[in-house]
Amino acid sequence: LEFGWTRKNAGRESDMDDVAEKIIEILRKNMKDPSKPVALETPLSDLEIESLDLAVIVFDIEDTFGIEIPYNANEEVEAFATVGSVVDRVKSIIATTKASGAAA
Amino acid sequence: MTKSNGSRRVVVTGQGVVTPLGTGVEKFWCAMKAGQCGIREVQSFPTEDLYITIAGEVPDFEPRERLQSKALLLADKYSQYAGCAAHEAVLQSGMEMPLKGDPAYRSACIIGSGVGGLTTLEFSYKMLFKENKRATHPLTLLKSIGSSASAHCSIEYGITGPVFGVVSACSTATHSIGLVYRMIKEGLVDRGLAGAAEASLNWGATRAWQAMRVLSPDGLRPFSKNRNGTVLAEGAGILMLEEYEEAKARGANILAEIKGFGMTADAADMVNPSIDGASTAMQMALDDAKLSPSDIDYINAHGTATAVNDINETRAIKRVFGNAANNLSISSTKSMHGHCLGAGGGIEAVAVIKALEENFVPPTLGLDEPDEECDLDYTPKVGRERDVNYAMSNSFAFGGLNAVLVFGPAPA
Repeated sequence: LEFGWTRKNAGRESDMDDVAEKIIEILRKNMKDPSKPVALETPLSDLEIESLDLAVIVFDIEDTFGIEIPYNANEEVEAFATVGSVVDRVKSIIATTKASGAAA
Repeated sequence: MTKSNGSRRVVVTGQGVVTPLGTGVEKFWCAMKAGQCGIREVQSFPTEDLYITIAGEVPDFEPRERLQSKALLLADKYSQYAGCAAHEAVLQSGMEMPLKGDPAYRSACIIGSGVGGLTTLEFSYKMLFKENKRATHPLTLLKSIGSSASAHCSIEYGITGPVFGVVSACSTATHSIGLVYRMIKEGLVDRGLAGAAEASLNWGATRAWQAMRVLSPDGLRPFSKNRNGTVLAEGAGILMLEEYEEAKARGANILAEIKGFGMTADAADMVNPSIDGASTAMQMALDDAKLSPSDIDYINAHGTATAVNDINETRAIKRVFGNAANNLSISSTKSMHGHCLGAGGGIEAVAVIKALEENFVPPTLGLDEPDEECDLDYTPKVGRERDVNYAMSNSFAFGGLNAVLVFGPAPA
């Protein structure tokens, strides 16, 4: 059902790449109201995502992309301000992980 | 023997601890007075694939030197810690053990744990799932259940009255002590061992905690602006509680009186604490003690050094104490012994009793950067001498489970 919604209402999301789409999918799973619009510039606070939700989301993202994301719920993290900043952070970690994997 | 309800007073006649600062009350207290820190790089399991590599491990626990019975030598470490701390409390109380007959039935042993024998379970699952062993060790179940510490101690001392474990995460020991206090006060029993033990430091548990993103990778700095999470630890803290008249009649050395106990639940959120729940528990403990806020000299805070606890606890203290909050000495001794989880409130109760006895407030280590939202006197870095007549110990657990004790001097 959630998936169908994402497709139908894609709008802006149609411009998004695979990483962004996967991340938004993960965010929706953890939103109280998954039908709310989610764009790259949407602040996570608008999605009613709280600290424990964020831990679950980070876990899910790590599992999906096979990466490790440094995140501490006790600190304000700029990388978790908006959906777009999460996407950027994940992309940069994927790039670093690949680079170090290639080097090794 | 049993007086009418309400008039019975409850005193502490023995105490015992196992902590990351050392085993035994004297070692523990001397380390805290000196502002030492028991948080170090983990020794007991490999950490190369973890990003949290520090913890408060007990440095000096040798089971064969510390434990009397074979049953305890075969038990999970959490029960061993309980057995060791209980032994110290029993010895100090001077009570003749094992108990027999009617007094044995009128004795309680409430020793809880946040998670019981988790390390035994981790080892057993590893054997089954990874090493493909055909069976687990026959004692796996008895070692892992959360009531084994209380059962072992009841067997050691012949306690045949109410014996069970309490479970309330980081409030476990405080709830246990509060329950035995109420049992004695209300005439159900005349004496009891009360507290908790925790020995859940292992690879799997650290992984689980890591995933919650609430641990600090570099130190526990309560109430400091630069705090970045708590640090896991282990240990045990157990008190011997007695009805006052009886303790006096047998000539026991009375260490302190339990004046009040309050318990509430936030019924709101698993991780975000509420000011209402915490402040109401403190107020209930004060009311039970028939004391006013200005009577309290020292609060041993829950002070986990997470972003949310320290602000919420500060606000809750201010709500209850009003202007008197500015005259309080507060400290989080977790900054020295780490977050001993279920055992925390038992270890911290001992810190409070020593503070009363020696009129000395132990410090909050790591408080190097004042936080404008945490603006009370947390006794930063160095402990100090001050008259401590009445003191409060706060425990606020995950799930919003709050328990608060108020201690006072031995009745005159």
